[in-house]
Amino acid sequence: MRLKRRGIKLLALFLGLSLVAAACGSDDNEGSGTTTEGTEAPDGSAGGDFIDLGTIVGDPLEHIDPALNSTLDGYQIINSIYDGLTDIDATDPASPKIVPHVAESYEANDDASVWTFKIREGQTFAGGEEILPSTFQRSWERAADLAGDYSYLLTFIDGGAERLDGTADTLSGVKVDDEAMELIVTLDAPYSNFDAVSGFQLFMPTPEEAVAAGEDWENQPMFGNGAYKMETARNDEEIKIVKSDEWAGDYNGDTWDDRLDSITFRVTADPDTSFNSFEAGEGDNGSIPPARVADIEGTYGNTLGVSILGSYHFVLNDRAPEIGGEENLKLRQAVSMAIDREEINEAVYNGSRTTSTGITPPGIPGFKEGICEFCTYDAAGAKALFEEWQAEGNTQAAPLPIQFNADAGHEPVVAIIVDNLAAAGIEAAATPIDGETYFSQLADGVCVICRAGWFADYPTYDNFMFDLFHSTSLDGNNFGFVNDEFDALVDEAKQTTDKDAQAALFQEAEGILLNDATMAIPINWYRGDYVYDEDKVANFPQTNFGLILWEQVKFAA
Amino acid sequence: MFSYITRRVLLIVPTVFFALSFLFFLFFTLPGDPVNLIAGGADRNPNPITIQQVTERYGFDDPLVVQFGNYWKRTITWDLGESFRTNRSVNDLLGDKAVNSVRLASWALILEVVVGIAVGIVSAVRRYSLADRFTTIVTAGASAVPVFVLGFILQYVFAVLPNKNDFPEWARIYTSRLGPDSWSLFLIPRGDQWRYLILPAVTLASVSTALAARMTRGSMLEVMRADFMRTARAKGLRERQVVARHGLRNAMLPVITLIGIDFGSTIGSAVLTETVFSWPGLGSAIADSVIERDLPITLGLTLAVVVAYSVINLLVDLSYAWFDPRIRLGQGEAN
Repeated sequence: MRLKRRGIKLLALFLGLSLVAAACGSDDNEGSGTTTEGTEAPDGSAGGDFIDLGTIVGDPLEHIDPALNSTLDGYQIINSIYDGLTDIDATDPASPKIVPHVAESYEANDDASVWTFKIREGQTFAGGEEILPSTFQRSWERAADLAGDYSYLLTFIDGGAERLDGTADTLSGVKVDDEAMELIVTLDAPYSNFDAVSGFQLFMPTPEEAVAAGEDWENQPMFGNGAYKMETARNDEEIKIVKSDEWAGDYNGDTWDDRLDSITFRVTADPDTSFNSFEAGEGDNGSIPPARVADIEGTYGNTLGVSILGSYHFVLNDRAPEIGGEENLKLRQAVSMAIDREEINEAVYNGSRTTSTGITPPGIPGFKEGICEFCTYDAAGAKALFEEWQAEGNTQAAPLPIQFNADAGHEPVVAIIVDNLAAAGIEAAATPIDGETYFSQLADGVCVICRAGWFADYPTYDNFMFDLFHSTSLDGNNFGFVNDEFDALVDEAKQTTDKDAQAALFQEAEGILLNDATMAIPINWYRGDYVYDEDKVANFPQTNFGLILWEQVKFAA
Repeated sequence: MFSYITRRVLLIVPTVFFALSFLFFLFFTLPGDPVNLIAGGADRNPNPITIQQVTERYGFDDPLVVQFGNYWKRTITWDLGESFRTNRSVNDLLGDKAVNSVRLASWALILEVVVGIAVGIVSAVRRYSLADRFTTIVTAGASAVPVFVLGFILQYVFAVLPNKNDFPEWARIYTSRLGPDSWSLFLIPRGDQWRYLILPAVTLASVSTALAARMTRGSMLEVMRADFMRTARAKGLRERQVVARHGLRNAMLPVITLIGIDFGSTIGSAVLTETVFSWPGLGSAIADSVIERDLPITLGLTLAVVVAYSVINLLVDLSYAWFDPRIRLGQGEAN
């Protein structure tokens, strides 16, 4: 999942400006600067109206319909309004677990090709309509009709592709028994992580009013089966959600009765404006501009300590003659080794991110530290590898272009990489390209070394390995990485039901990607970026999916 | 005069037609396939099925000329369509944004007229005085400071610091957003509304006020040397009357032109101010829609801006005749 696109070229300018503000910032607000990660809410006052300035940063949200949204910002709101078949128990951030939620239980057959969900009795939408197995069937068909960015997930279900392309009227792989409260889903291919995917926004149940309204549902006062609902339609300035008394509770059945009465998500133009407004006392939280990290730590409460399941990396084009192919393997490895990831983290992000040792971040089940053998900074080693590559008769005809979308804050990262490569004797050139052109070119597969980023949709290893790097993936693998061994390992892992065996297969595949083929260069893993005033807000838990657990947010007593 | 106004009003029609038609075709020359973007291809490679559905839904598979014809058929009936990305009605969006833009631009205009012209007159009348030197430095500085820098500093000084230092409530000014959106007689802020309006209005007016002051000063100095000014003084008029009746009125033509153009651009192009202060106006919405290739929004909102520009230009031209009775509008054409 992507963060909300900040389609505005001002951002880089503001990043520079915020240094000025940081310099004149006052330190008179004492605070511990601790991070809230846990899920046990400390004592605080009940209810209250929360003004959020840190979620919708940039343009107003394009979508807040679970069938249409594709941004993390939108999911923050959707996740408060709707509950899915399953949920993620992130109490232990290092090991999030999939747990039943609207389904009271679920099971898969031996090869994970047929999944049976037992829907909990007596659950209703805020409008009063009862939630039945057929509610899900209807909601998924609605999602197919609306054909949002994530509608490809329906192709995981038998008959999903046909329903999407209009050659079938129903999702043939979905069978419902409302009497027995059973939802039986036959998949297109065995998939042992379907329980994680089934709780994702696209598969959340929507009321019959949503079916009637179609794509206009998100422009009406939306309600679902979650802890909150809307009483007024969204506008470009704010989205307000209020407590829903019909909520059946979280996956533990806890209804968090003293949760906030309302949350108003206000649109702010960029992280600096968000932070300024927060400091001016206009809201209860804000977004952290990268240049203000040092100023915030020790002054305000923040979620900088939360590792977000997302990867910032560069992909290499296997088809590009200057970097791809077996003959350039040592060059690629030298490039990866030459990059000083710590320097990037300190200089660009004030140390607020985690330097990565692989693409898949910690917190994803099966994660293994240090998979990447060429991600540790070693200028001498990189130089030696580069010289070996040259000794094999290779020469650099032109500097390696390092391409990225311009004015989105990547310039300083690439500048450091170019310097690092020069120190190892490798010539490279920063090649900024305007955002839309860049992503079009990326989709057309014409990049050489290209910046990329990815946030986990759900806690599965395949959400990184399959979605980003498998040769048949619909998303992202447009840089020519086709490796039969890698594909076979990922395919096998997806179908493997034993979690340890599955993890080993994914790790082996990632090893091929990063070491044997070196087709991706991890740089860092993201961290939380919310700031709040600890004197006012007692609890502000952010999961490592980036989601705020709004039902657990509390004002100070 | 009446026929002149009628002709000028009718001229708005081809102006709008050519401006929007030009934009329509220009849109398709921009890099970045709109279908791909609408289908979610901003940073991913979208599903071919989604691409196909988007293509059909928005008629992108029709020839460009057919799309162009359909666009105008809808526009003539005042159906500006729906946003590609959010499905929201552009008519509604235009209603919301245009009002906010006009209010902000009007207050910037008031500041520009009152402060800019007053400062310019003082500078011209007391040339080389301390006040003149001071305003020269301040106006040069205000023209040089980028809008977003000024906005950011104003936010910090007038909103962040008062909050951090627990200033009383009456001294608080807010950094962003529209606020309670409460107005009297369309334009006069009611209740706390001024606290939200003042910083963006000052920021938006800063550069144009400085320019208006500079231009008023220059123009006034030129007029003050004119023979009719000497005659006016010789007639025994008081200096204040000489400056106000004879000097200012004659010096105003270039200033009015500048202010008219400024007013038009502050309605439709106040992107930076609107962004810094999260003011929901036309400029930032148009800029975002271009970046997101959201053609219905780009065209719908631009339509309003083009009409506003045309009307303002007409008013500026009409005002020439008022400021300088020697100008007879439309006379050349009548002959």
